[in-house]
Amino acid sequence: MEIIFEEKSTKDEKVIQLVEEFLDKIPTLEKKHKMPMIVFQDGVNGAFYIKCSILAEIVTNLCDLNAKLDIKNPESFRANRELLLKNRTYLKMKEDASKGREFNDIIIEYTRDYDQDTPLKVWGGQHRINAIKQAGTDKNHYHGFRIYFDLSPKQRTEVALISNTNINVSNDTFDRMVEETTFGNRLRRWCQLANLLNEEEDFPDVGARSEKITVKRARSFIVNYYLGKKRGKELMETTLDQNAYEPYLTGMGVSIDPKYSEIMNSENILKDADLIEAGKNFSALHKTQYKAVTDPNSSIENRKSFRTKAFIESVLCGWSYVAGLLQNNPERLANHYRIPKTNKKIPDPLNAKEMSEFKHDSDKPTYRGLGTRSSSKDRQRIAQLFLAKSRENNVYLDKSFMNKAVSQVMGILYTSQGYA
Amino acid sequence: MPNTLNFRDYLNFAERYIRYAEENSTNSTDLEWLLIPSIILSWTAIEYFVNNRLFDYGSLPEKQFELHERAFLLEKKITFINSGANLGTFTLGGNEYKRLEDKIFFLISKFSPKKEKNLKGKSLWQSFQEFKTLRNNILHPRTNKNIYIDIDKAKKHLDTSKRIIQLISEHLWGTKTVF
Repeated sequence: MEIIFEEKSTKDEKVIQLVEEFLDKIPTLEKKHKMPMIVFQDGVNGAFYIKCSILAEIVTNLCDLNAKLDIKNPESFRANRELLLKNRTYLKMKEDASKGREFNDIIIEYTRDYDQDTPLKVWGGQHRINAIKQAGTDKNHYHGFRIYFDLSPKQRTEVALISNTNINVSNDTFDRMVEETTFGNRLRRWCQLANLLNEEEDFPDVGARSEKITVKRARSFIVNYYLGKKRGKELMETTLDQNAYEPYLTGMGVSIDPKYSEIMNSENILKDADLIEAGKNFSALHKTQYKAVTDPNSSIENRKSFRTKAFIESVLCGWSYVAGLLQNNPERLANHYRIPKTNKKIPDPLNAKEMSEFKHDSDKPTYRGLGTRSSSKDRQRIAQLFLAKSRENNVYLDKSFMNKAVSQVMGILYTSQGYA
Repeated sequence: MPNTLNFRDYLNFAERYIRYAEENSTNSTDLEWLLIPSIILSWTAIEYFVNNRLFDYGSLPEKQFELHERAFLLEKKITFINSGANLGTFTLGGNEYKRLEDKIFFLISKFSPKKEKNLKGKSLWQSFQEFKTLRNNILHPRTNKNIYIDIDKAKKHLDTSKRIIQLISEHLWGTKTVF
């Protein structure tokens, strides 16, 4: 069968070999009619691909929905999001497939480097493939594919990302893909060491629907810890409380946050015992909060925002920043790590209900309360709250404590911004 | 009922008393029982706002201010220590409450980047003084001092309360308060 390189693509011997192997092993409509196969090359990332049609019965047996970003790493987890089998669009797709609809432009990588029995690794169109599988072979139609060959890890991530931009893929899934391609499994491993993820557990597809730590939050924790640590070294112990601090929230999506990238390139997070210790203490706080709210005898409403209060971005960023800031101050660090006291009136250590009702007079009436969102103002306030907490051995995060901490940060902010 | 009232709540309550008085004004000339609480609540809103701004700054670390400024913020007396380890030094002692207008002057003078020229000469301040006189007459009644309140007066003082809060807000925070 003739293999032709499209005029804008560069001829490549390895690709020819792989396309020949593919055509030899996988029956296609083009092969059946002895049509020449054209190899295209992506103008942006240089990846090679062909376009062809394959029968449903072949697809059903040879497609792999658990494609991996890092083929060489045995610890690499599946990169695609979970299938949304109850999603209305998927149900329509499934119904159409059972009636004989042909699907097109399904994105596949051909590789026999892992799971050789299923060499068609699906990067775009996993729902369509699943719908075809579910429809069975009664309607054995040809479906249209783009088959990529010899992808580098970077090309593979990009193929995965561009294949998913036209459907509802969360930024958390993008984050997970980009993270693994850029830094391997270090962040996931760190979360496992810090008890923030269980062994064999991965980051969630969609943070908003999950109660686990996301890539964005884990990155923010690490960045804030190191930012706080750096700031702590610059300050005298006596001046720690005279400043307002600005914990950082890492960006998410297709490009990696520059501050996070800088830290990952300069620090070994898996060897930093103090960072892991901070993570463990944070995990303990989260678990205590979770348990307190889900306890059937608890007086607090069992709401997700209360259960996972520690994972709210402002709380996580403020807490981790203060953990870094106090690294040179063991006594205050121990106070920071100590889980706040609880009693009948305040059954959860983070006092989620009162926090959510808290407002400063400068807040608009629509402000939703302390530690309920990710804004810079909220991160500053939470950092001040934990910093104030670290001054005392054993405290309740009650309303008057919140009042004092927030008043302090407001006072510092308004004086430092020239309003003095 | 919210577990902690704030200045917006006090203003809202004051407004509701006025509205209720308006609804009843055709049938009754006796509206003081509604307008007196409205006046007190409008005043309380200013007190709340001013005291909490002092609390914001008073929460800062001790070294941020001179002792006399800290005494003012915390409404404490400066006491001379004439015994013990700190002999011959000054400290903060018992309560010493300040006048509301003095607190406003201090906040603006100390914490605002904008200088307020001739605040006392402005119409807002004259309204504030009238408001204060009426409030004092209500709270410290005497037979030789008549208290005359009508709906317009209550509305005017509610507006003064909001304008004073707005003035402080713009000076301290550089932003307008949303009521």
